[in-house]
Amino acid sequence: MNVGECYIGWAVDEDVRKRGGSGGLVVATLAAALEKGLVEKVLVLKKHSTYDAEPVLTSDPEEVLASAGSLHAVPAALSKKIPYGVKVAAVGKPCDIRGMYQMALRQQFNLDDTYLIGLNCGGTLPPVPTRQMIRVMYGIDPDEVVHEEIAKGNLIFTTRDGQEHAKKIDELEEAGFGRRESCRYCIVKIPTNADLACGNWGVPKDKLGAATFVEVCTEKGVQLLTTAVDAGYVQVEPASDKSKEIRKKVEKAMLDLSAKWRERIFVPIENRLEFYREALRHCILCNACKEVCPVCACGEDSKCTTMPSSLETHNHEFYHLIRFLHIMDSCVACGMCTDVCPAEIKVSTLQARYSLPFQEEKGYVAGMKLEKPPFFEVE
Amino acid sequence: MSEEWEPKIIMFCCNWCSYGGSDTAGVARFQQPPTTRIIRVMCSGRVDPTFVLDAFLEGADGVLVTGCHIGDCHYINGNEKTKVRYEFLKRVVEEFGIEPERLKLEWISASEGDKFASFVKQATEDIKKLGPSPLKPEVVE
Ligand SMILES: Cc1cc2nc3c(=O)[nH]c(=O)nc-3n(C[C@H](O)[C@H](O)[C@H](O)COP(=O)(O)OP(=O)(O)OC[C@H]3O[C@@H](n4cnc5c(N)ncnc54)[C@H](O)[C@@H]3O)c2cc1C
Ligand code: SF4
Ligand code: SF4
Ligand code: SF4
Repeated sequence: MNVGECYIGWAVDEDVRKRGGSGGLVVATLAAALEKGLVEKVLVLKKHSTYDAEPVLTSDPEEVLASAGSLHAVPAALSKKIPYGVKVAAVGKPCDIRGMYQMALRQQFNLDDTYLIGLNCGGTLPPVPTRQMIRVMYGIDPDEVVHEEIAKGNLIFTTRDGQEHAKKIDELEEAGFGRRESCRYCIVKIPTNADLACGNWGVPKDKLGAATFVEVCTEKGVQLLTTAVDAGYVQVEPASDKSKEIRKKVEKAMLDLSAKWRERIFVPIENRLEFYREALRHCILCNACKEVCPVCACGEDSKCTTMPSSLETHNHEFYHLIRFLHIMDSCVACGMCTDVCPAEIKVSTLQARYSLPFQEEKGYVAGMKLEKPPFFEVE
Repeated sequence: MSEEWEPKIIMFCCNWCSYGGSDTAGVARFQQPPTTRIIRVMCSGRVDPTFVLDAFLEGADGVLVTGCHIGDCHYINGNEKTKVRYEFLKRVVEEFGIEPERLKLEWISASEGDKFASFVKQATEDIKKLGPSPLKPEVVE
């Protein structure tokens, strides 16, 4: 097995394969890494419901296997959960993996000790509006949903009675539901910065839902996958050229869609000062957006939280000005700051107004490499 | 305000060069408008972007950051760092809708008194044309 190779793979255990989002390869590989001593802990999402899950750092292979399945309505903050000095394997969407790179860059943990499995991502749904969407658009009780799936542009919910309910994602988004705003303009759909990049794009028809397309991106990826295969946890076969082609095609279609949304969302603004003032007017300086941010490693005594005075309302803007400035080179546009804002401010899109064009101009995508941004190097 | 409006400009000067430049300008009696409030720092690299943003939020109509010419930094590369930071800072200030003329970076050595004076003169003229900063809190005149 070599870096750059692509496989179609699945969990050998029938039950894991069935429960997996797409064949259970990911959890089986993570469990094997634990069993075989490649890592001490694994970071996965512990599912509570279709809309709720929490990140857990575990050394129990059973708990890892239990996390099988893709949760599309759970945006979770993962990058700050990797401890320093512990050998960890973690899983995440492109924005999660990019956040992890930013944390490693800021010495929050050692990337050499960390194995990352990335999941392709077409987008996540915001949990609370999604429950409402299920009521309004599907006419079903969100608590009756036992399984959710995205296939061929459809968002499909399976209810307790075994019924499948499908609707086009485009249609849902036109109605104001669907993916989170940041996902619509997200620019990394396949996390090739992870050690393994896994997803269902490119899986042959006869194995759809029961296997995953895996790209081996690094030497550590080779190690992860061979360990899982040798341990008898995972089975793989080389991906055909057709599979690779299809995967590329879908990725391109998704990126084109992102570019379209980007034009729709980032419309030019006449009076920017007024626009930002109006947008940030209801900020209560709770700092939740900073706490959740996967690329911010400043901790408690950060400039943005300690410098604005809560008494002087005119300098409330200070908090956001500092954050905009600090995060401009590293924001991965994950959208989590928007998710947590109690004042319903679209913080991430405000931030992305600065950071996306800036990063683009500098010719780099934040969180894809361990190196500092090139323009940061001072001799 | 009966007289003609004069802008309030915060100017950061490096101890080793531009601060000396202001002295040279004074000794040589180069004319310049009294619009600046100079804050001396040990290096332009000491100018945290937050100083600049805070100056604007506290009512400055313009902010000037000055330091030694590239290659002449007393601390080897402090001004190179200033350059990198300034690029971020400018971006935020402009995106926020503050006119780019309100924020300037210039390298001025201790001997360049004439450059110091003409820089202040030019900056004052530019800012005067724009009028008071839109970020000025209502309580500050
Ligand atoms: C939100 C989301 C969107 C996706 N979109 C696409 C897509 O558009 N195209 C594509 O090819 N593939 C996509 N995938 C990947 C695909 O669904 C499978 O996860 C992948 O093929 C691996 O399947 P598996 O059975 O091996 O994973 P499993 O063995 O089931 O393991 C999945 C692992 O992912 C973790 N996980 C589940 N939900 C999340 C989440 N929301 N955030 C972080 N970690 C999570 C679980 O903890 C578990 O450890 C997406 C995955 C997710 C989570
Ligand atoms: S921001 Fe991108 S990677 Fe993250 S959940 Fe949305 S689409 Fe997926
Ligand atoms: S600023 Fe917001 S969108 Fe950007 S990385 Fe942080 S939480 Fe994500
Ligand atoms: S989460 Fe919202 S209210 Fe809280 S500090 Fe951030 S922008 Fe302000």
